[in-house]
Amino acid sequence: MKKILLLFLFLMGQGAWAQTTAPTKREVIGRDIGQLKGIKISGRIIDEISGEALVGATVTVPELEITKITDNNGAFELILDRAEYNIQFRYVGYETIDYPITAVGDGRISIRMLQEDFQLDDVVIFGRDPEKNIRSTDMGAITLSMNTMRELPPFLGEVDIVRSLATLPGVSQVGEASSGLNVRGGGVDQNLIQFAGAPIYNPSHMFGLFTAFNADVVNDVTLYKAVVPAKFGGRSSAILDILPKAGSVAKWGGDLMLSNYSGKLSVNGPLIKDKVSILGGFRISYINWFLNSLSNPTVKNSQANFYDGNLVISAPISENNEFTYSYYTSYDDFAFASDTTISWKNTAHSLQWKSRLTAKLSLEALGYYSGYDYGIFNQSGINDFDINSSIQDLGGKLFLGYNFSETNKVVFGGEYKQVAIQPGELIPTGPGEEILPQKVQDEAGREAGVHFQHEFELGEKFGFSYGLRYDTYQYLGPRVVRQYEENKPVSDGSAIGETNYGDGEVIQTYDGLGPRASFRYSFSKSSSIKLGYNKMYQFIHLISNTATIAPTDVWKLSDNFLEPQIADQYSLGFYNNFKGNIFETSIEVYYKDLQNVVEYKDGATLIMQNHLETELIPAEGQAYGVELYVKKNLGRLTGWVSYTYSRSLRRVITPFEEENINDGEWYASNFDKPHDLTLIGNYKVSTNTSISATFAYSTGRPVTFPEAKFDYSGNSLAYFDSRNQQRIPDFHRLDLAVNFKFKGEGRFFDGDWTFSVLNVYGRKNPFSIFFDDAQDSPPQALRLAILGVPLPSLSYAIKF
Amino acid sequence: MACIDPYQVDVPQGQQLLTVEGLIHTGLGPHSITLTRSDTYGSVFEGLVRPVTGATVVIRDNEGRIIFLTEGQEARGSYFTPVDFRAEIGKSYTLQIQTADGRVYTSLPERVESAPEIENINLNTVTVPVEGETTPRSGVQLISEINDPADQNNFYFWRISPLVYVLETRPDLFTPRPTPEKPDRIPEPKPCCAVCYRTEITGNQSLFIAQDDNFNGLTTRIPAGFIEDDGLRFVNKLRVDLRQYAISQEAYRFLRLVKQQAEISGSIFDPPPATIRGNMISLDNPEEVVLGYFMAAGESSRRIYIDNSDLTFNQIAATIPDDCRVVAWANVDPPVDWNP
Repeated sequence: MKKILLLFLFLMGQGAWAQTTAPTKREVIGRDIGQLKGIKISGRIIDEISGEALVGATVTVPELEITKITDNNGAFELILDRAEYNIQFRYVGYETIDYPITAVGDGRISIRMLQEDFQLDDVVIFGRDPEKNIRSTDMGAITLSMNTMRELPPFLGEVDIVRSLATLPGVSQVGEASSGLNVRGGGVDQNLIQFAGAPIYNPSHMFGLFTAFNADVVNDVTLYKAVVPAKFGGRSSAILDILPKAGSVAKWGGDLMLSNYSGKLSVNGPLIKDKVSILGGFRISYINWFLNSLSNPTVKNSQANFYDGNLVISAPISENNEFTYSYYTSYDDFAFASDTTISWKNTAHSLQWKSRLTAKLSLEALGYYSGYDYGIFNQSGINDFDINSSIQDLGGKLFLGYNFSETNKVVFGGEYKQVAIQPGELIPTGPGEEILPQKVQDEAGREAGVHFQHEFELGEKFGFSYGLRYDTYQYLGPRVVRQYEENKPVSDGSAIGETNYGDGEVIQTYDGLGPRASFRYSFSKSSSIKLGYNKMYQFIHLISNTATIAPTDVWKLSDNFLEPQIADQYSLGFYNNFKGNIFETSIEVYYKDLQNVVEYKDGATLIMQNHLETELIPAEGQAYGVELYVKKNLGRLTGWVSYTYSRSLRRVITPFEEENINDGEWYASNFDKPHDLTLIGNYKVSTNTSISATFAYSTGRPVTFPEAKFDYSGNSLAYFDSRNQQRIPDFHRLDLAVNFKFKGEGRFFDGDWTFSVLNVYGRKNPFSIFFDDAQDSPPQALRLAILGVPLPSLSYAIKF
Repeated sequence: MACIDPYQVDVPQGQQLLTVEGLIHTGLGPHSITLTRSDTYGSVFEGLVRPVTGATVVIRDNEGRIIFLTEGQEARGSYFTPVDFRAEIGKSYTLQIQTADGRVYTSLPERVESAPEIENINLNTVTVPVEGETTPRSGVQLISEINDPADQNNFYFWRISPLVYVLETRPDLFTPRPTPEKPDRIPEPKPCCAVCYRTEITGNQSLFIAQDDNFNGLTTRIPAGFIEDDGLRFVNKLRVDLRQYAISQEAYRFLRLVKQQAEISGSIFDPPPATIRGNMISLDNPEEVVLGYFMAAGESSRRIYIDNSDLTFNQIAATIPDDCRVVAWANVDPPVDWNP
């Protein structure tokens, strides 16, 4: 552990000084053999960061008024006379390079160009502007571009959005097979994940081994973990905003990737030249061969299938108006030991209109539909059944932005959505009438929000941003709602009556004001301090007894028993960039207070449960932490170190002593991992070869150990008393990858080979420690490890 | 890729908590209550669960009648009702215990409901593949066919009686060691004991329980028991009584927690550990935790003889070379009521 840390620090120190891309003094080209005319100078232009050839860049010799264009390999050739020239290299979106030379003989020039404006985009985490982290009043907004994610070792052959985010400070995952993110001590359901503006309920394939978004069709991903802009609401912890790419209006192209687990293809191009573009992407797994090759008989008889697909049509109909339609779907099924199949499917449509009404006033309107369908299908031969569940969201948003000036902006707007949940319908599928069809009452609700935000700067030193969001929510009929005796725990036994609500009748209303504010003071161009506060409301709850998002989970709207979750967060941060933004550092401190988080009664039944209120207990939560971050943006070696010390606690105090958890004391939540360290490095060995490494360490998550062993009905059982008082062993893992860009003839041969190994030293990191009295072995503690061995993968990707 | 293996952890020193396991019902007695003390949950030989002996155990019904239980001579820690005791439908019972050190415990009252009849027992052969083995494990699932009463919420619990089954020897394989007198290896079966009847007391390894939420008022089939084929049991014929109990809602909830814990598989979807609280309380110290549950239930039962041809998959028969009496609990005479 210590050695690896030292190695990283050593590597970070290497190559700290970026090479300059243009010579400061005139370069003499060629071997001087006294040639005067017809000097042939050839060369190649590549992207400084990615090493990719720049096709169609212009090479101008002003003295001779000639301009050449680079070919498919980024190559060019000039025929010059013996003289001094000031050659200019230009490429759209890149910084122009002035290159003074003296041509004395045939020779070669290699040019590396940097993207302009966002010249650090490829590696900068904090937005596009190298000093944005210092200057903006945003706190805890992290944008990861796809190029950044490509620098990380791939997970099972692919860029994985969720896992990439988990490498950042304050963001963690429960374990190796968990799809959700825990952001600053919040649960996985407290993050709003939206794709092209539409909410997505299950962001995973294969229970979290893969992320359900195809990285080739994603443009960028922004995570808001501290002060969330007022235009976002509805979840209490964080917002994950994923935006798809738009296709090219100029020419057809695409990406193809094949790995030993899955394959994906995306194609984009002009539907109507220079007017309408289309992008389509599809990814499918062929992981069955892998499952079938394992020796565990249960896994061997298992089947897993998944795919996801995207379609984006964008129409920049005029300079000031653009329409974008996005369709997204993902599907999974998993047959465990072949008699129970679990499946889930996300579908999202969204249509967006962006318009610049005047030079200062802009408008954005978005409508979406999102569906999440999931089911369990039992084909064991006895009492066969299907359980189907679904969630449907239909909504719209409208934002107006007015820029008084570059440093004084206002955004305001409104949002409305309807949510319909079918928590579960059991349909017998066997012959005869042996079990009854069953249906849990459907749920309906609507949410509306209005918001405004004002951002302005006072001189160079001060920046302010403040906003307010008002959310209102209604829980709607038709529904039969139970009443319970007062002064008794809510249970089947204390039910005293029922009320019938008609279709569309309002059963319960909640509303609340959510202020957002942040303040920045800059000490200099390269260092600043920021303060932030925000309050968020959440009207939907993930009712899950497991540590990960599972299709057996139930989503539940707030009702007259289950109040909305409310989070208050205070944050403070210090930001400093060094050496001309090559190094970025930050320290952030936060404190978060959570109300109405859901906890469960012992042994709660959550599936097909018509009276969930009898199984749930409201809890309060508290989270705090310090996040340290050092990042190196440029050079042969890039990467970052992130370290978080944080706690995530829960407390349950009810009027009824028997329902209190851990006697009403604070206890660690299921995902409380105090120390969390990630080291990431990417080292460019040459322009076409790079090596990347990720090392992650975190404290083991809490677990409950038995207080005693007792016998009942021939079983040795564990008696558990206090929740989450012990911890599973610490987690650490090293992943390595080698990427080789193969330059061949013709466009289908310009491919990327990536070989990666996850869990290089094969640590059996426990996902859980559990206690079991299994047949043929004594009652004992057992460890479940998801990735017990080093796991290699090979992938090949081409752009065409 | 994923794997489960034993893991050494430091478990807190276990508490010695009184544990009660008992079921009285409307069937034939004697019924038993077993008292033990919990211990540390740990590695192999740590924390032995010991019987609690020398306690005074009584059952009291809602009419004030008291039944004294006597501790078994051999089965220490188990306390038995008189043979003629049967619980009566509609009555409530409480269990009262005074341990040798003078501490007094009582259960909450349990009411006896009548159990629907077992209309029929269906059989289903189950095979489970085993890692690294060519033959799977197998056995017979007993499926209870019931007419669930529509007018009430029913909670079911099943147990099976001791198994009685026929053992067959392989005398054709019994060849005496060659001696100068008898150089040839002609089999010499003993005339006495080619066939035996073995009575085996086996617990149902899994708990079989059900509630009628999704079959209320229907004629339905519910898995109610499982007998593993160990190569001896299903060689010829096996007899078992399936006992069906109507238990209370609280007892069902307790057993569901026990079952949930007994069946965790170590998957990522396992529910978190739950506190299994029973219906016993200490009268001296309300804070004292008492484990286990005292149940009172109506019983219905049905006998079935299972022929080896009823199974669709049989384990290779274990070989008993000559004398079947060498097998424990085996007898050459069938039980008096053996009537296949």
